[in-house]
Amino acid sequence: MIQLTIDGQEITVPAGTMIVDAAAKLGIDIPIYCYHQALGPLGACRMCLVEVEKMPKLATACTTAVSEGMVVRSKGPAVDKGRRGVLEFLLINHPLDCPVCDKGGECYLQDYTFEYGPGNGRFQEPKIQKLKDGPINEFVLVDQERCVLCQRCVRFMGEYVGEGQLLLEGRGVETVVTTVDHVPATSQFTGNVIDLCPVGALLSAPYHHKGRPWNIEREESVCPHCPVGCTSKVTAREGRVIRMEGRPIPDREWGWLCDRGRFGYDFGYHPDRLLTSWVQGVETSAAMATRQVGQWIQETINQDGGSAVGVIMGGTHTTEEAYQVQRFAREVIGTENLAISRSEAGYLPRALNGTFDDIKKADMVLLLGSDPYDAVPVVHLKLRERWLRYSALKVIGIGPTRLTRDTLPGQDVITAPEQSAAVMALALATQRPEDANVKTLLQALGDFSPSGVSPETLTELGVQLLGAEHLVSLWDGMDPAMGMVLAVLAELREKPTPILPTFGPANWRGWERAGFSAHFEDLTRILEHARDGIIKTLLVFGADLMNEYPDRALVQAAFDRLDHVVVEGVQPPEDSPQVDALLPGATWAEVYGTYINMEARLQVAMASVQPPGQARPVKTYVNTWAHILSHPLAWEEDWEPFDEDSGELLPLHPAPLHVTPLKVPAAIDGDMILITGALIWEMSEPSEILLPRIPALPGRINPEDAKNLGLDIHGGRMRVSQGETSLVTGMSLDPRVPKGLLWLPQRMPGVNTLQPGPIVLSLAKEEVTA
Amino acid sequence: MKPEWQEWASQAKAEFPQANSALMPLMHRIQLVEGWLSDETIQDIADLMGVTVQYVESVASFYSLFHREPVGKRVIHVCVGLSCALAGSDELMHNLEKRLHIKEGQTTADGAYTLLEAECLAACDKAPMTQIDLRFVGPIRPEDVDTLLNKEVPS
Repeated sequence: MIQLTIDGQEITVPAGTMIVDAAAKLGIDIPIYCYHQALGPLGACRMCLVEVEKMPKLATACTTAVSEGMVVRSKGPAVDKGRRGVLEFLLINHPLDCPVCDKGGECYLQDYTFEYGPGNGRFQEPKIQKLKDGPINEFVLVDQERCVLCQRCVRFMGEYVGEGQLLLEGRGVETVVTTVDHVPATSQFTGNVIDLCPVGALLSAPYHHKGRPWNIEREESVCPHCPVGCTSKVTAREGRVIRMEGRPIPDREWGWLCDRGRFGYDFGYHPDRLLTSWVQGVETSAAMATRQVGQWIQETINQDGGSAVGVIMGGTHTTEEAYQVQRFAREVIGTENLAISRSEAGYLPRALNGTFDDIKKADMVLLLGSDPYDAVPVVHLKLRERWLRYSALKVIGIGPTRLTRDTLPGQDVITAPEQSAAVMALALATQRPEDANVKTLLQALGDFSPSGVSPETLTELGVQLLGAEHLVSLWDGMDPAMGMVLAVLAELREKPTPILPTFGPANWRGWERAGFSAHFEDLTRILEHARDGIIKTLLVFGADLMNEYPDRALVQAAFDRLDHVVVEGVQPPEDSPQVDALLPGATWAEVYGTYINMEARLQVAMASVQPPGQARPVKTYVNTWAHILSHPLAWEEDWEPFDEDSGELLPLHPAPLHVTPLKVPAAIDGDMILITGALIWEMSEPSEILLPRIPALPGRINPEDAKNLGLDIHGGRMRVSQGETSLVTGMSLDPRVPKGLLWLPQRMPGVNTLQPGPIVLSLAKEEVTA
Repeated sequence: MKPEWQEWASQAKAEFPQANSALMPLMHRIQLVEGWLSDETIQDIADLMGVTVQYVESVASFYSLFHREPVGKRVIHVCVGLSCALAGSDELMHNLEKRLHIKEGQTTADGAYTLLEAECLAACDKAPMTQIDLRFVGPIRPEDVDTLLNKEVPS
């Protein structure tokens, strides 16, 4: 620890701390442009000049590390003169167009010029003109005239994200920020440069000329689109959400967002948004529709009892909303048929759930079927940051495709589809053959040997699994057997073995907290009972079962048989004539509520705007129905998902370990086999802003297969057939997918009409358009 | 990528304690043959050197002697620094433009010459001066552009 004095105040900080960070701890603000804690020191902008005793000249506070007994002055005539000079230079070619700049009022160049800058510059010559409002990509604009060349954006993309798509081009006053080869940046994380840019150079295209700080209201929120639950801020103007920004939390979050989350905020204004109520295909008033649904529930209860009603939770609903629905279902209807709309069969008990803090301590990361870049992008950044700081980090991908990337290198154990759990169990057996749990796991496997994985690989994997000090696993939740193997692994290792579930829906942990079952079996049972006529009425909140449930045929059969299907939501489900009532729901940014993310962390999202049209909160619906059913619910006290003992994280409940023998993975025959996985662009509510970036070629096949099938090297449309069903979709070539496999995003519409397994691929004939 | 570039890259790397330092010599060597550095060439160089395209492009754009567009057989840089400007570089440039029927920054239709301006080339004793390919030529009086164009300049 090092002691120093800044502006007469003493402080002790760890060695290696920069003056600027030490000053921040004392609440002393030193102006900076180029420095950012996540990116480290650079010293490009010279704005942070301070006086250090015994140093002959002013020093940059962001590149000067503290030393024992150092005396720093961050104010005074010398410092002011230095900063004034820097600003005069920065402003020589700046267009001074603050009145038409989106950042006007939230710009550090404005703020610091006001505080330290000269009243006017002495430079008389014409200003150099550069590109204004040029594209970085569909979402980000660059105004090169306003840029102060701090390089935050270039360094963020190049060093931090590892996708060097931005660069400084040219020299001296001609230097500009632009994209490589002037083609649009394609990274998942480009929007963050808007937040990082301290001036008005990098702007949000959808927010361009939409508002100024004095027109807007900002509320703290949480991104609702994936289970990462990134902390964010929502900007609203006149009752409309017009922007989303990252919200840094000291010592925990940098405030990064992925582009899908940052720019997907407009789903509430989608032209297809459900704004009125529909009963049996007829548009009707909200009161009529709600009353009609209440009567249906009453009829079902009268004829078959409360247990003939099923309730399914989904969408972007908050934990509190789920609690309200849950109380209505249990207390008023009297049913225990409550489930969450899930797309994967696996489940992770809270006791095994890790946090993002574990990533900061990890020495080994397992990617179990999950590619974080595609599924939970900001976790990919967290892993990358760990790798940048701890280069010995071992990353091991286990799944049917390569899961490591150039930006997150490691080794891959490529397993045949549905064999990953067995591979993990066999790897454990190489080290602990006598362990009772391991023995149970292997009991039924006999002499099964996984295809393509050698005994040496199994041994090496086993050694690594048990040897790692802090082993973080990211699990896609596809195979329940893997959940069991992970529980055994956690029991076996006497060291931290946190697991992060990357599967959705975003707030499944919250709904579970509120009293819904998150087990896939319960969802399946409700649908089967509906198909078999045991359940007569199904209330669906927010979920689009037709696309979310992995077997569309079962949902179809259930809907066909049900007396009443009631769907509350933001988007009408596509092509579902069996839906008897459609009720418009209030959604994210329209209701206050808590989201619980993949760390089991509780985070509050404030309401920013009013629900449009007839859209109303869930509580309004359940209250009306409770009245119709003559069992009004009392809400004296607001239920709080927080727990006294747990604070921000859900309380830990020990999960008893039930180990059952793994089944021998069925051999899958076929030249081409379909596998599915998570792709953030295809998940959650549809957005118009995102349209240009939704992959046109979402399917992925090996380049060799593509060549054999006659697919163009740049990809193209193909027909995927399985028995009677088929689907035409775009395919791209991806060497990370092994030969003989086709990867499709599991949540892309229509994918759940097919089942993972053998398929036939053929080139789609060009459709002739008249 | 030309087959010999692999070898050029390893030769260049061998000359320096840090492989990164070989980037510019390799770029020069390739440009000498290719005449300019296309997007594809930049990509190839990045692959050869194991650095990002972004890095190579930043370097190429920083230095005025790397060309990112096709240039003529001879590249004439006219120095427009202070000394040369006082000694008449404006007029020299104007005469060259008239004589070659192109504007500054352009290449003649027959691909013989490219005319560019350069910031101070640090040869004020030769003002007004030019740089033809990699050689300094000066002083050149504005009316002597024909002499300049006919001059034998070793490359």
